[in-house]
Amino acid sequence: MKKIIMLWAALAAICFAQNKISKNHPSTSLTCKTCHACEVPTKQDPCLNACPRASMVTVYQPAEKTKNVVTLGEISKKYMPVIFQHRIHAEMAEMSGGCTTCHHYNTSGPIQPCKNCHLLNRKRDDISKPDLEAAYHRQCITCHREWSHQNNCVSCHALKSSMLSSAEMQKAKALESKTHPKLVVPKKLVFQTNDKDGKLVTFFHDEHINLFGAKCVDCHQQQNCSMCHDKGKANMVNNPEGMPIKMQKSKAEHHKPCFTCHQNDDCSVCHKDKVAGPFNHEIRTGWALNRFHAKLSCTKCHGSSYKFTKLDNNCISCHKDWKPGTFKHEVTGLKLSKNHLDADCSDCHINKDFSKPPTCTNCHDDKSFPKDKPGTLVAGKRS
Amino acid sequence: MDSYTKPAQIKKKYFTPGVVILILFALNGLFWLAGRFFFGIGAVTNLNNQYPWGIWIGIDVAAGVALAAGGFTTAALGHVIHREYYHDIVRPALLTAMLGYTFVAIGVFIDIGRWYYIWHPLIMWNGSSALFEVGICVMIYVTVLYIEFLPVVCERFIGHMNLKGAFAFLNKPVEKILILLNRGLSKTMFIFIIAGVVLSTLHQSSLGTLMIIAGPKINPLWQTPILPLLFLLSAIAVGFPMVIFESLIAARSFGLKPEMKVLSKLGTMVAPILGVYLAFKLGDMFIRETFVYLTSFNLQSVMFVIELLFGVIIPLRMFLSKAVLNSPLWLFVASSLVIFGVFINRLNDFVIAYNPPYKLVSYFPSIGEISITVGFICLLILIYRFIVMNFPVISQPDRSYSLSTKFSIRGSEK
Amino acid sequence: MGKQNRRDFLKTTAIAGTAISGLSIKSAKAAPKDILSEDRMGVLVDTTVCIGCRNCEWACKTAHDLPTQSLDKYSDRSVFKEMRRPDESALTVVNEYPNPQNSEIPTDVKVQCMHCDHPACVSACIVGAFSKHENGSVVWDTNKCIGCRYCMVACPFQVPAFQFDKALNPQIKKCDFCFERTKVGKLPACVEICPVEALTYGNRNDLVKIARERIRRNPEKYVNHIFGEYEVGGTSWLYLANQDFSKLQFPKLGDKPAPGVSESIQHGIFAYFVPPVSLYALLGGLMWITKRKNESEE
Repeated sequence: MKKIIMLWAALAAICFAQNKISKNHPSTSLTCKTCHACEVPTKQDPCLNACPRASMVTVYQPAEKTKNVVTLGEISKKYMPVIFQHRIHAEMAEMSGGCTTCHHYNTSGPIQPCKNCHLLNRKRDDISKPDLEAAYHRQCITCHREWSHQNNCVSCHALKSSMLSSAEMQKAKALESKTHPKLVVPKKLVFQTNDKDGKLVTFFHDEHINLFGAKCVDCHQQQNCSMCHDKGKANMVNNPEGMPIKMQKSKAEHHKPCFTCHQNDDCSVCHKDKVAGPFNHEIRTGWALNRFHAKLSCTKCHGSSYKFTKLDNNCISCHKDWKPGTFKHEVTGLKLSKNHLDADCSDCHINKDFSKPPTCTNCHDDKSFPKDKPGTLVAGKRS
Repeated sequence: MDSYTKPAQIKKKYFTPGVVILILFALNGLFWLAGRFFFGIGAVTNLNNQYPWGIWIGIDVAAGVALAAGGFTTAALGHVIHREYYHDIVRPALLTAMLGYTFVAIGVFIDIGRWYYIWHPLIMWNGSSALFEVGICVMIYVTVLYIEFLPVVCERFIGHMNLKGAFAFLNKPVEKILILLNRGLSKTMFIFIIAGVVLSTLHQSSLGTLMIIAGPKINPLWQTPILPLLFLLSAIAVGFPMVIFESLIAARSFGLKPEMKVLSKLGTMVAPILGVYLAFKLGDMFIRETFVYLTSFNLQSVMFVIELLFGVIIPLRMFLSKAVLNSPLWLFVASSLVIFGVFINRLNDFVIAYNPPYKLVSYFPSIGEISITVGFICLLILIYRFIVMNFPVISQPDRSYSLSTKFSIRGSEK
Repeated sequence: MGKQNRRDFLKTTAIAGTAISGLSIKSAKAAPKDILSEDRMGVLVDTTVCIGCRNCEWACKTAHDLPTQSLDKYSDRSVFKEMRRPDESALTVVNEYPNPQNSEIPTDVKVQCMHCDHPACVSACIVGAFSKHENGSVVWDTNKCIGCRYCMVACPFQVPAFQFDKALNPQIKKCDFCFERTKVGKLPACVEICPVEALTYGNRNDLVKIARERIRRNPEKYVNHIFGEYEVGGTSWLYLANQDFSKLQFPKLGDKPAPGVSESIQHGIFAYFVPPVSLYALLGGLMWITKRKNESEE
């Protein structure tokens, strides 16, 4: 009896809880367990996990619409509050992970302030997440020391005791309204390697994005800022396009982004003796794209990006709807005569192999292609 | 067996050119020693945080303890299993052990940084520490050795108390005390003798346990759980060669006939012990398959080969030969090799094999360390010489007997 | 000797025997207790988070009254050119190693005493000056110390340092897990100052769980190894890293406690003083027998 009451109570609670949840709730692609610790969360006891870290940010704002500056001053004792130029950082983050680079938790609601999860005190009970100071620092320092190679406090913080000079004040003011210039996406990059056979690797940046559907973060995972801003190195921004770039990172590091796709490729696919031309379907796969195919993006035929698989040359393996009556044969340059319109494809194209010339012998003993044609040639089209 | 020899003082001039050289070395050692106490260990030694122990522990203490093992092996032979035949050599061996251990104690005293707390282990115990056991055993054993030596002092002074001037009144009471002591000791001496043997067995082996805790810091050629057994066996093995070595040196130095009958008989016992030691050492090496470390050519592997070849295998073969046992010169060489072997073994185990994971500075003993070690050895020899010239330690022919002159070491007729 | 009669011999042997067995009981009580509390604290060092700012070095020196430069001098990164070790003047140091995942951000590793669960120094110390405390720390009593430096020989992490340059009152120095600070409820100085909380102070059991969770969430970032979880029987300080620990110059150590073999030998030899006493009895018996034989021959 007791059990039954309990069960009913639980069911009622579920209905009650589900009626009240926010509209966005079901749209999140999360499992219940990500947020709720118990089996049956209720409104009174939602048994929420303490700030679960999962990529669950659902609210995206364009960088231009975000706050210009945020003042971080909750924990400053020794130093002045940090004036954090939010917008420019948001713009920079757009080149990599977006908002989630920093805001890794906001469920479906508004973006939460860091201190909601990250406590002020270093000495605390829940030590599974860093405290507020560490949380801030971890977000900032990783990038900042990557390009400045510095990690001393005063590179970000001004001491409370020290007065800022007017020049410094102005500089800080100027930074507040500064925006990041739009990124110039290079067309191609040529890397000079130490490889014996094939010193040069030509990387067509635009192809990888526009044609192959790669995303920025697929390659630019950690070196976002230092890619352009590295105080210790020559500025890559000023590197003229097409000029060989010397390798600075380890071999493994350089290969890592490429190997997510090119893992099974031979070295010579990328490493060549001279600067390579753009992607050519015929050279690379041995199958020339006709003018219709050339317009398509790769994913249209080869499925999702990254893992492009080899397809067969049969038209109907992609063009599944090409059937007698629906296929306009004139696109091939030959308009079928009335008699032939209803014939099955395989009547002329044996075994539906369209790479070989068609045969007439299935019906006509005295005809042969290309001397005799089952229709009329269309002007301007290839035969 | 009736002995025709009897321990007596040696009437000779103390100072000889050799002695003067020894004194110079000893003074040099004392000079550096003063430096150690005034300016600290770091000022005199090359010890550092990577190499906390150097030759003061490796030679002064570890090798010192091993080479003073003659004391307990001859005590066991002479007193415990009552081989009266060897009584002649018990006293010199005892004296060496006593002086040896005294200098071990002094060696520890100067090596520990807080020397004024050297008494701490007496009241602050740590049963799991091998060093604690070694320390306590050595402390008790030194006391036991002094007690064992007391009869010699009694023998020297009873009836010969001859203090001059203001202290003349002390002659009678001191003599009475000595007589009382002598009487008491003669009844209880066996307790101390057995205790001495037991204590020696314990700390000789525990000295081997010392470096086990250092684990992978010790080269695998030496690091083995049976280190205590190897240390005990090698200590027993080096006991008799050490007695032979001293006897022959003393005979040479004081122009006495070497007691070859006793010594060669003593020598016959060396080979079996050395053989057992070698068997364990090689067996251990093959069971743990550490011989692979010999294939790499480095200081450790070379030192291991030297230790085993010149310190164990060659002398083992020599002690098996009758010709060697009967020739004072060859017996001397063979004994020296065993001593060298054990000396190198202790040095290897404590210094050469010590391979710290982080080496910022490497270790080679400084002039100060070497000077103090050498100085101590010289001082020990000088004190030994002084004692045998003033106390009845070395057995000499009783005037009433004539000796055979069959065996002699070169120059011993002087 | 050799003059006493047999009755004397037996009497004195018996006295000696009781005296030694009496000693053994006392020593059993005097053995130091190895406290290994379930609630012992620890620190999880995440080397992937550490930025090598060396603030911990400064905080440590300040907390332990060691001479130090001002904090801003610690941003000097040229010290990373050579590997440094904790010593008597710096109880903790940070070393830098290349990071195979990102050459722009090197891996920094803080080094200090690991505070073993079964410390070799506690086992080795001749006067029992070292002890493992309930809060996980391995500390020592300088007033007991005789300066023998056996702890330095024993330590598998080569941590204790000695003031070799002091003639009077030289001391052993090592990280004491800020024993005086934690006693009054403060955090260890290094943990408190760390700007990125690369050092997490907490119950060791919790820390192991947290470390596992971090590896589980980020298997590409971390190697699947918590250094110190099992090494030499476990240590209070635990490390996470993005590469094999041998590349970060951590010693390769087994899971067995460092003092294990040595202690079992010691306890074997001194099992309630039975072996020494038996040896004593054996030699006494031998002495008695050979003596009687000699007497009967006479």
